[in-house]
Amino acid sequence: MNMMQVMQSVVWAVLLWPCLVSLGVPLECKDEQGSIILCASISKEKLLDRVIQHAELIYRVSEESCTLFEEMFVPFSMRSQRNQAGYTCATKAFPIPGSKSEIQQISDKWLLHSVLILVQSWIEPLVYLQTTLDRYDDAPDTLLKKTKWVSEKLLSLEQGVVVLIRKMLDDDMLTTSYYEQGVAPYDLQPEVLESVLRDYTLFSCFKKDAHKMETFLKLLKCRQTDKYSCFLH
Amino acid sequence: MAAPSFLLLFPLGLLSAVRSASLMGPGSMTSSDPSVQAPHLTGCKSSEQETFRCWWSPGSFQNLTEPGALQIQYWKKNDLTKEWKECPDYSSSVKNECFFNKNNTVIWIKYCVRLHSESQNKTYDTLCFELQDIVHPDPPVALNWTLLNISRSGLNYDIMASWEPPPSADVSVGWLTLVYEVQYRRRNSSHWKVLEHEFGTQQSIYGLQTGEAYEVRVHCAMRAFNNFGEFSDVIFVHVPEIPNKESMFPVTLVLIFGAVGVAILLMLIIFSQQQRLMVILLPPVPAPKIKGIDPALLKKGKLDELNFILSGAGMGALHSYPPDLYQDVPWVEFIELDADEPGEKDNQSSDSQRLLGHNNHHANHGCSHGLGIPDDDSGRASSYDPELPDQDTLMLMAALLSCQPDKVEPCLGNWSHSSTPSLDVLEVPCPRLQAPGLPPEGGERHLVQTQLGGPQSWVNMDFYAQVSDVTPTGGVVLSPGQQVRAPENTPTTEKDKMGKMEGGEEESEEEEERRTNKLKFQLLVVVPETGGYTTESSGWQMGTPDPSSPGEVYHTFPPPSAESKPHQEAYLPATTPLGDYQSPYILPDSPPAQFLPPVSDYTVVQDVDFQHSLLLNPPSPQRSPTCSPQPPSKPLPVMPIGYLTPDLLGNLSP
Repeated sequence: MNMMQVMQSVVWAVLLWPCLVSLGVPLECKDEQGSIILCASISKEKLLDRVIQHAELIYRVSEESCTLFEEMFVPFSMRSQRNQAGYTCATKAFPIPGSKSEIQQISDKWLLHSVLILVQSWIEPLVYLQTTLDRYDDAPDTLLKKTKWVSEKLLSLEQGVVVLIRKMLDDDMLTTSYYEQGVAPYDLQPEVLESVLRDYTLFSCFKKDAHKMETFLKLLKCRQTDKYSCFLH
Repeated sequence: MAAPSFLLLFPLGLLSAVRSASLMGPGSMTSSDPSVQAPHLTGCKSSEQETFRCWWSPGSFQNLTEPGALQIQYWKKNDLTKEWKECPDYSSSVKNECFFNKNNTVIWIKYCVRLHSESQNKTYDTLCFELQDIVHPDPPVALNWTLLNISRSGLNYDIMASWEPPPSADVSVGWLTLVYEVQYRRRNSSHWKVLEHEFGTQQSIYGLQTGEAYEVRVHCAMRAFNNFGEFSDVIFVHVPEIPNKESMFPVTLVLIFGAVGVAILLMLIIFSQQQRLMVILLPPVPAPKIKGIDPALLKKGKLDELNFILSGAGMGALHSYPPDLYQDVPWVEFIELDADEPGEKDNQSSDSQRLLGHNNHHANHGCSHGLGIPDDDSGRASSYDPELPDQDTLMLMAALLSCQPDKVEPCLGNWSHSSTPSLDVLEVPCPRLQAPGLPPEGGERHLVQTQLGGPQSWVNMDFYAQVSDVTPTGGVVLSPGQQVRAPENTPTTEKDKMGKMEGGEEESEEEEERRTNKLKFQLLVVVPETGGYTTESSGWQMGTPDPSSPGEVYHTFPPPSAESKPHQEAYLPATTPLGDYQSPYILPDSPPAQFLPPVSDYTVVQDVDFQHSLLLNPPSPQRSPTCSPQPPSKPLPVMPIGYLTPDLLGNLSP
């Protein structure tokens, strides 16, 4: 039997060797995105696809979390905050162009860097959100799980973008996350309307920024695949 | 902040502002007061996330209906100046619409649009939103369907609906990521069936019915936003019914005809081989018959008539009955008694001796209450014949299973009184015999056919008489009228009778012992299978007969012990080996009383002497070779009860 097993494993290895080379490495890259050497073999396209998948998922989960939070804690009268000019999201260090045309004219470098900045800016607020939600009495489990999941995925997204920058831009940069300081103070009591609104604002802003990340990455992808059509619009 | 002031000042504005940013297009009224409506913004929408439009309604205010009275002003978050700007483009085609083109549209930045009246310097409505939140994509285009497959029954089919994203949505660039929702319904139905959201541009619809007309439509929305746009144009799906029933029809016809043919064939086979099948499946049950006696008389409750017949009044008739009437029917049992040796009546003692085991001429007499043998002994054994083995005229089978050795009941039948002394000779158990089913010929005497010839064949023993008891001398007491009592006696008497048998073995005389042994051997335990025989005793012990002796015909229960040695049955002729047949014989050597259910009450009567007493002893001449016990090496051939083998039957002389 041992001989048979050895033979089988050898056969499998021989058969799957090309697959391992092509596909297996991204998995290793996924886990070890901090170390460049292991991920050297992954292609840019695949990495970009994975990063876009991450961004899409993050966006979707953030939207669900925002809706959940809104339904649970935000009074009806205060919903649809977007109708009011009241809340503002923390401004980023650099302005992000708003129109599509402008965005399409942005360089790849700029897109990637802005994505990275966005990701890094939300790492700490999400951690804060997690702790805040724990203080809520009747926060649904799904909301907690989603928030936790998002913060985890955000970290891996950061790592992926860093690698992507390194690959695409050949730009070595330190993988340090510098955090924005535009986060609201922590000292407010939960369940108070103000804190609720503040948390709601956080959720909404994060959702928006997640949408930004996803859009930038998709535009970037379009450029990678079809440089000409992406710029025509 | 400006927002709370707006809320405070304009409750109606607040109500309208509370509604979601992505409102309906022009025409939707959200005001709570239908009669009086203030001017309000009905909604702002973007179809491709690059431009958007806003609509308003002037309401019912009269003084604001003229164009220009109301203005749309907007304000962007990132404006350097915090002042409201006029709508960049009032649509000329659509009334009360403000269009924001690409240059004026930014994403991820909050817009606030308000309905303002400059003349009155009053803002009637405000709406704040961000561009991505008000995107309602245009309907998909080029909706089409293709047939995937049709079910085998032709009743259902599946289609694949495909479409293309709206041309305005820039999906290829990735600016919009759309999710589609397909809905379909029957033509006449009012309820749309909604399918799951689909990210691709095609969707399969399963389970549509042929012949029905369906409508399909699709709309899309931005992913993770639930702002679905307008529905696409409805397409109609219809697949006519395929009349493929004819293809099934011949197959069903063939199957039906095939089944009918097979059934007919089976019927033919059954009917042609009916006799053989009947014999195999339902072996005939020997109906109790006594030549010359109406079988109906042998049924319960008619003992008087039977007694009369058998006593003597009917004996002549019986005797005159052609004995060979049933000879061609092997499975008919009948009892024939020849009551023509009156001289033998005197030899009662000899009878007993005979019974004990000298020869087979001993009159086998048992009390058969079923028979109702009359007193005058006229019906008794003319079968008693010294040359009984040669004659084969008389055959009696009395089943002896067990008896009460110490309790010898006198035969209640008519036979009893005359044959009691000889009955005393018998030391074998006296089971009850019941001989129903006498032939209806009403003969005056019944013919006891004993199996004779060589070693007498027990096969022809077909006279069932209920042996009620056995006299110490070995006489079998036939009690005609004690059917009811038989079952009660049987269980209790079994052991006793066995004991008596064994006691009999301990007699001094070896001859006696031999007699008793032979007597025991001769007594066949007969248990009728079914039919007219009632087995009343239960738990009679039986021993396996001599395998070499084919005598026992009647056997229903398995022999009590294969291990018990069947003794050589003197009577049993070796002419017809019965193979595996094992007739239950009482084995004196087998102490363990094996009480088997339905123990027969019959003792095979070998002969009927002149006194019309039943002899249960084999004839001496033939006895010797067969007296010695033989190991049960060769079981008797299996024969159904009551069956007369042709060769045995040939031995019988009418």
